[in-house]
Amino acid sequence: MEPGWASEHLQVIRTLMERAAVYRRALAPTTLVTGGIGAAAALIGWFMRIESPRGFGLFWIAVSVVAVCGAFWAVRSQALKDQEPFWSPPMRRVTQALLPPLVAGLVAALLVVLPEGAPPARVWWLPPIWMVLYGCALHAAGFFMARGIKLFGWGFMVLGCACAVAVSLRLDADGLPALRNAHWLMGATFGGLHLAYGAYLYLTEKRKNAA
Amino acid sequence: MNPEPFLQLDRVIHEKGRLGIMSLLAASPQLAFTELRDTLNMTDGNITAHLRTLQESGYVAVTKSFQSGRPLTTFALTAQGRKAFATYIDLLEQIVQQSKGEK
Repeated sequence: MEPGWASEHLQVIRTLMERAAVYRRALAPTTLVTGGIGAAAALIGWFMRIESPRGFGLFWIAVSVVAVCGAFWAVRSQALKDQEPFWSPPMRRVTQALLPPLVAGLVAALLVVLPEGAPPARVWWLPPIWMVLYGCALHAAGFFMARGIKLFGWGFMVLGCACAVAVSLRLDADGLPALRNAHWLMGATFGGLHLAYGAYLYLTEKRKNAA
Repeated sequence: MNPEPFLQLDRVIHEKGRLGIMSLLAASPQLAFTELRDTLNMTDGNITAHLRTLQESGYVAVTKSFQSGRPLTTFALTAQGRKAFATYIDLLEQIVQQSKGEK
């Protein structure tokens, strides 16, 4: 027998044990559902003229709850289809990784919108804060997932920071646009980016499955 | 080289397919049949045969349940299976150490 076979066996065992801990459900349906909800919410927010600071904050909190429920529904459908448990250990790990930044985002939103008469300028900080925190959540979950989720998380963090700089600059200069415009920002990022990434995943996962 | 650790290796676990199943189950409290099959890229017949061997050796326990009206078969390592797997890893490590010592 080759002298290195035992080390190779150990390496195979290590790789398989790591693979067992990785969340491996298709991400395209979840991402597309989340993106669809984000884009639809932006349109609703814009056309329904949800522009009061409190209305804006509470509206997007409600949208995020719907998006989380939609994502869980997409995951559960896949689990049922594949005859696998929904609340599997990798699913638990991913949820645990996502939870702290998402809860922080909720708390930040409540702190901003709950005080009576919050100025619109303060609420303009919410989209960049949410983007950064959501990016952190994706990045943390990416340790238990394949397929570039960490990079997607970095994208949200960088975009959030850029938006924060833009909000800060506009605040110092000629003031911020009407809060109603923030729906476009939310729609482009939480809606558009998810849809674009979901479409990419859908095409590549399909190609991978066909191979 | 001392052949003792090699001779002590559990032949049930040592087979490639069963080693894969044991490794996956060692890292997860339980896994569904489809998860095992897809992760290891094995056919239904092949993995069923290996799982049966592991069950007969007392290393793997099977649970049959229903999830939203659909049958769900999950597998988990028994205490005996976990112990046998740990012993197998120890022996592999001993063999690696021995071969390092001989270099």
